[in-house]
Amino acid sequence: MITQDVIRKIEVENFLFREAELLDSWQLPEWTELYTDDARYEVASLSADDPWNADPHDSIFLISDDSEELRLRANRLMKKSAHCEFPHSKTRHLISNVRAYEEDGHTKARANFVTYRTKSGKTSRYMGEMHYVLERQGDDFKIRHKRCVMDLETLNDQGRLTIIL
Amino acid sequence: MKAQATITPVRSRSESQGEGLVDIDRNKGRFRVNRAAYKDPDVFELEKKKIFDKCWLYVGHRSEIANPGDYVVREVGGRDIIFTRDRKGEVNTLINACTHRGATVCREKKGSARSFTCPYHGWTFDNTGKLLSTFSNEGYREDLNEDGRLNLPKPARLEHYRGFYFINFNPKAISLSDYLAGAKDVIDSYCDQAAEGEDGLYVVKGEHAYSIRANYKYLVENSYDGYHVIPTHISYLEYLKDRAANAGAEEDVNVVAKAGANFRGTGKTRCLGHGHAVLDSRVPTGRPVADPLERWPDKVKQQVNENRKRLEERYGEEYASYLAELQKNLVIFPNLVFNDNVGLTIRVINPVSHNEIHVRAWGLGHTGEPPELKAIRMDNFSNFLGPAGFGSADDIEMLELCQRGIENSPTEWSEYSKGMNVDAPDLRLQEGAPDDECQMQAYWTQWDRVMRDIDTFEQE
Repeated sequence: MITQDVIRKIEVENFLFREAELLDSWQLPEWTELYTDDARYEVASLSADDPWNADPHDSIFLISDDSEELRLRANRLMKKSAHCEFPHSKTRHLISNVRAYEEDGHTKARANFVTYRTKSGKTSRYMGEMHYVLERQGDDFKIRHKRCVMDLETLNDQGRLTIIL
Repeated sequence: MKAQATITPVRSRSESQGEGLVDIDRNKGRFRVNRAAYKDPDVFELEKKKIFDKCWLYVGHRSEIANPGDYVVREVGGRDIIFTRDRKGEVNTLINACTHRGATVCREKKGSARSFTCPYHGWTFDNTGKLLSTFSNEGYREDLNEDGRLNLPKPARLEHYRGFYFINFNPKAISLSDYLAGAKDVIDSYCDQAAEGEDGLYVVKGEHAYSIRANYKYLVENSYDGYHVIPTHISYLEYLKDRAANAGAEEDVNVVAKAGANFRGTGKTRCLGHGHAVLDSRVPTGRPVADPLERWPDKVKQQVNENRKRLEERYGEEYASYLAELQKNLVIFPNLVFNDNVGLTIRVINPVSHNEIHVRAWGLGHTGEPPELKAIRMDNFSNFLGPAGFGSADDIEMLELCQRGIENSPTEWSEYSKGMNVDAPDLRLQEGAPDDECQMQAYWTQWDRVMRDIDTFEQE
């Protein structure tokens, strides 16, 4: 039976897949349009004791962008002078185990991810879980909050995190 | 300056043409470094003995083990160390390997414990390293550990300067205070910025832990290299300018443009003895202590101005303006960096091999600081300095390009002569412009002297 839950899951999944597609094709200006004007995009520190509840203004984060910074991040990554991503790496965002639900008047989602990045003869993996707070806008969504927590102890294998997860 | 080299690594013997790996000729204004210093595994093996077994190496800050029993596990100079506070409140450093078979004793990265039990045969040590139990005593003589040889060993020396703890594996080493030389004044300036002085500094939660496929000295140099700021970090300056422009803060836009147009005029590099040096520069990021940006909210600007007033009252205008306005990037020989940019961060550069390093970095906060100001520090620590930031990520790329370039090219020497004071009595005590290379000349002069046993950092 096609319930409301199933429809929501498919809608959210399609939306997350679209975000992944924009990232893998380096359409970063278009990617920023998925975010609300008061959005936050965060990647928690690998050493955080409680990464889902950590406060980026109280403890160290890998990424803690407000909506202006995430747009400037995208803008920078499109420049040749963003040396770490010139030429652009090849990436593949895989998203699975999508769980979508309603809470506090928002559509929320949790998903697992593995993202591969290849550059300068080296392939790195970033894996973990992402939590989204979405805002429904007509038939579509916008992202109000996205936090990624990676299942890593250090970035010794990857060296850096220069792509968007 | 032509001393006979004692370094004769297999691949660099011909490259260094029988001389040292650092070639200084003041008459010709020449300062260059043989690239074997970055790419020869034999040089790295020598560095382990001559540098990392002889120099003072940073372990941690006292705030990280504030209470009796607290511990953190650290990699220091290629060794696993437990940095811990015992029940009497004394700070200890212990080698984290069982004296029985060698297994790692403490497997958690941090916590609180009175004792550490090896998971293999159950040997238990207290947090001063004393062997408490061998799990099964039968079969051992009663005086097994009478001489204490089976206690967890400690590095030969442990000392601190204003709460920053260092170890030294050489029992004959000079004191930490003597070793730090002029770098102590810069550490003082970090303490003096906090309202409560050195007791008001604490390491905030979380850390950056990443790697770079390059020789450790590349990151050392990069950490106080003013010359690379504009070419490498132009996109960061553009980011600062965009943020200022988005906020309609014309003054901030002008300050960024000014620094970009004349970085050379923003400060100076000062060599502090023993290979340590600091880059003092004014980069227009704003500083919670105590140099506000126009675009910051009024409330924040007011808080920053109060900080400034406190500094002026306490220290006078001149030193207050030094504390407030200048970014102070300090390198302590051989592998410790303090970046006092927006806020203060500590970066330890652990060499893993001749072409790989593990970087660990922590941010410091000030006790009692308003949360708005702390937030500014935290934001900068992720958006510029971290492995996902707008600055360090580009640095990492540059260093890996360097390592690849020197490994895959026959060129023997790298050029380091920019700004050399050919008349300076000691290149380790010279000064230069922010985009000169005096600080690196000081570092390499010291490196060369240590590698050739001219300096051992030992007591007379």
